[in-house]
Amino acid sequence: MSDAIGWRRSFGLREAGVYYALALLMAVLALAAAANGLPPYFSTGNLTNIAYQASLVGIMGVAMTIVLITGAFDLSVASVAALAAAVLIGLSPVIGFPLALVAALATGAGIGLVNGAIVNLIGINAFIVTLGTLTAVRGLVMVLTDGRSLMVEDPTVLAQMLAFERTRVPAFWPLLLLGLAALAVGVGMMLRRRRQGRALRLGLMIGAAVMVIAALAAGPGFALPVTVAYLLVITAVAALVLSRTVVGRRFYATGGNAEAARLSGIDVTAYKIGAFVLSGLAAGFAGALFASRLGAMNPTALQGTELTVIAAAILGGTSLFGGAGSVVKTVVGALILFTLTNGFNILNLGASYQGLVEGTVVIVAAAIYTVGGRRGVAA
Amino acid sequence: MPLLSARGVAMRYPNGTVALRGVDLDVPAGRVTALVGANGAGKSTLIRILSGAARPTGGSLEWLGQATAFRRPVDARRAGIATIHQHIPLVPTLSVAENILIDRGGIARTQAGDREAVAALLARLDARIDPDARVGDLGIGDRQAVAIAAALAVDAKLVIMDEPTASLAGHERAAVYRVIRQLADEGRAVLFISHFLDEIVRLSDWVAVLRDGGIVLDAETDALTEADIAGAMAGRQFVALARRERAGMGEPRLTVEGLATPALAEPVNLSVARGEIVGLAGLLGSGRSELLHAIFAADRHATGLVGVDGEPVGRSVEERIAAGIALVAEDRVGQGLVPAFDIRRNVALPVGGGWLVDDEAERAAAARAIETLAIKAQGPETAVAELSGGNAQKVTIARWLRPHTRVLLLDEPTAGIDIGARSEILRLIRGLADEGMAIVVASSDFAELLVLADRVLVLRDKRIIASRDAAGLDEDTLILLAGGSAPQGSAS
Repeated sequence: MSDAIGWRRSFGLREAGVYYALALLMAVLALAAAANGLPPYFSTGNLTNIAYQASLVGIMGVAMTIVLITGAFDLSVASVAALAAAVLIGLSPVIGFPLALVAALATGAGIGLVNGAIVNLIGINAFIVTLGTLTAVRGLVMVLTDGRSLMVEDPTVLAQMLAFERTRVPAFWPLLLLGLAALAVGVGMMLRRRRQGRALRLGLMIGAAVMVIAALAAGPGFALPVTVAYLLVITAVAALVLSRTVVGRRFYATGGNAEAARLSGIDVTAYKIGAFVLSGLAAGFAGALFASRLGAMNPTALQGTELTVIAAAILGGTSLFGGAGSVVKTVVGALILFTLTNGFNILNLGASYQGLVEGTVVIVAAAIYTVGGRRGVAA
Repeated sequence: MPLLSARGVAMRYPNGTVALRGVDLDVPAGRVTALVGANGAGKSTLIRILSGAARPTGGSLEWLGQATAFRRPVDARRAGIATIHQHIPLVPTLSVAENILIDRGGIARTQAGDREAVAALLARLDARIDPDARVGDLGIGDRQAVAIAAALAVDAKLVIMDEPTASLAGHERAAVYRVIRQLADEGRAVLFISHFLDEIVRLSDWVAVLRDGGIVLDAETDALTEADIAGAMAGRQFVALARRERAGMGEPRLTVEGLATPALAEPVNLSVARGEIVGLAGLLGSGRSELLHAIFAADRHATGLVGVDGEPVGRSVEERIAAGIALVAEDRVGQGLVPAFDIRRNVALPVGGGWLVDDEAERAAAARAIETLAIKAQGPETAVAELSGGNAQKVTIARWLRPHTRVLLLDEPTAGIDIGARSEILRLIRGLADEGMAIVVASSDFAELLVLADRVLVLRDKRIIASRDAAGLDEDTLILLAGGSAPQGSAS
């Protein structure tokens, strides 16, 4: 009943489990690597690599979380990303990279709009609609590419693509300063909230601490792949909008109780469609990054990635019934999945077990959230 | 020997609420017994006990002369008691036949003779329903018939019906009446609950009136008039608040002209003055919620003019809210609160204000609401899921307590709320009116409406059938207007 429980609950499995899971997983992998005489696990190179690999799924996961918060579902993201990639590669030599990038993003947002409109204006279940667009958009990719791989030949375009995807941005000072600032805000908030006995924003504190530690450990020359920087910026913006603005509040209200939101004057339909547009836009951006990574794509690119994206959101504790979810935790969920992949690689365990372990992890996480959630309500 | 007799049945909930304080009731075979009572009199609790859904905390039940304690609903059903709840629990995707035979044993989904058995049952009810039709495709009257057929299929000796006609149109009601009579003529017992006094007088052999958890009238129907029954229902032991004559009203604040919607039988014209409290009296299904939703534009099909302080207002919820109209919906859980939000965020839900969330301002507003409405909660960050009914209701009202609100529409604001919180809410509503708000409040608790309202509109069958000054009105009259045969002559 009391808020002191709310305060304590911020450290419980239900609220903070995903952070513990990532820390535990990394610790286990670090010990295993050390025991097997492998190079140190906690190296800048290795950790940056995990973040880099997780960035596309992370970016789509942020938008997916918003869709899930509104109580819907988007299965089409990977197909949309592939279509955006095809648009970028196909159009870049013709209209130039910047315009092609805009076209790719517009394609993604456009399909999101179609998804959202069909789901909300006609009233068909989101699962069915996006299962349809998943298939149809992949078919469109096949049509556009004629079933063959696409490649960029033009060296200027290739250079622009590499600049868009491969640059490393100096990260020491930004990380250190931002981290310290966030830490200061977080500690201040924590002291105040603890006095008031209210729930803490643990994500902010942990994020800040990780930023500071990462910067200090990596040294002044530390540079991040720009893709990771995109992920950080997108996550930060989404997290701030969701937690600090009225718009964010309304996304949660729309998913938490659509009728109550409607009777409070919130345009529920607009928010639900808006979430799909954001999801399409994020998928378009991820697709553009994917295309720029190699300057090439094949028509089956990213197939099945939508499930990884959804798994990341579930690992992060997002409710499939809407009304609850955190983009930061979704990104941590994506990091867990890619840390697992990375761990299998460095320990040379073979890919055969990977799916088995990942699937189990997702179910265990969901079980912890469900049981923990029930206890939370009972308390 | 009565089929079922209750002796001193009492029910005291763990939170201390006493729903039944020793009920004695006999239900003999071959008789239609009407169970009547105002909201909160204990009817549903008694039904839950008789149908095995709840166990009494005192007293005993005798079934066929033997002391019995039903532990689960299935025990009561096996014994021969079929209960038809107000919200009929049928499976909409299955056929009529499958629904009727839903608890038949066996392995095969359809067995030889099923069709004939179902057809025979339906024929007995004079219901022309295709046994193969999907229940989801049926109208509500036909569904009622299917539920009754399902009760007959298990050869129930006692059929309990909870407000079987509340949501039915006239001709559908007639069909239900015929079935009820027929069940009694076959030697079964029928216990039915209704708010419609005319149908009680016409249909039942015996009337039991429940008030404040006890039987206050138990008599043969022929010896009674509608007024006798209304008199027994009214005169509750408590009225949360005393009536108070209020000062004169100001200018018209809310004006409604030609407000029409498919949910109402005819267009509504209405004017509510500054500081006036208009009560909407009506039974379940009378159209009181529909009227409020139409005024608020929450009903998308509503057309007509709605104005506030002489200014016409656009036809969307957003515009109505912007003009200062607010609705506190009937279903707190389904339409009012966002369960995952705390009090602060639920109070801050309505549109308006800036882009950024101002934590401190919201917390201050929520803290103010907690104080002025006496919400029992630790603080603004308490989850609404942890609140009791009365406190949750206060949160849904608190949401609209801002200077901006000029018209407040309340749908059953005190339903399911304990007396303490109830009088606080009534006092609050009166205070808001004193400050100049125009208030329309719908309630099926007529005693309360009479205490609160300046003027009462009576709704029945989706139309306003009477408008009375509350000062000269008593509860009996209101019960007769809303559920009796007085005003229209024929209600069926």
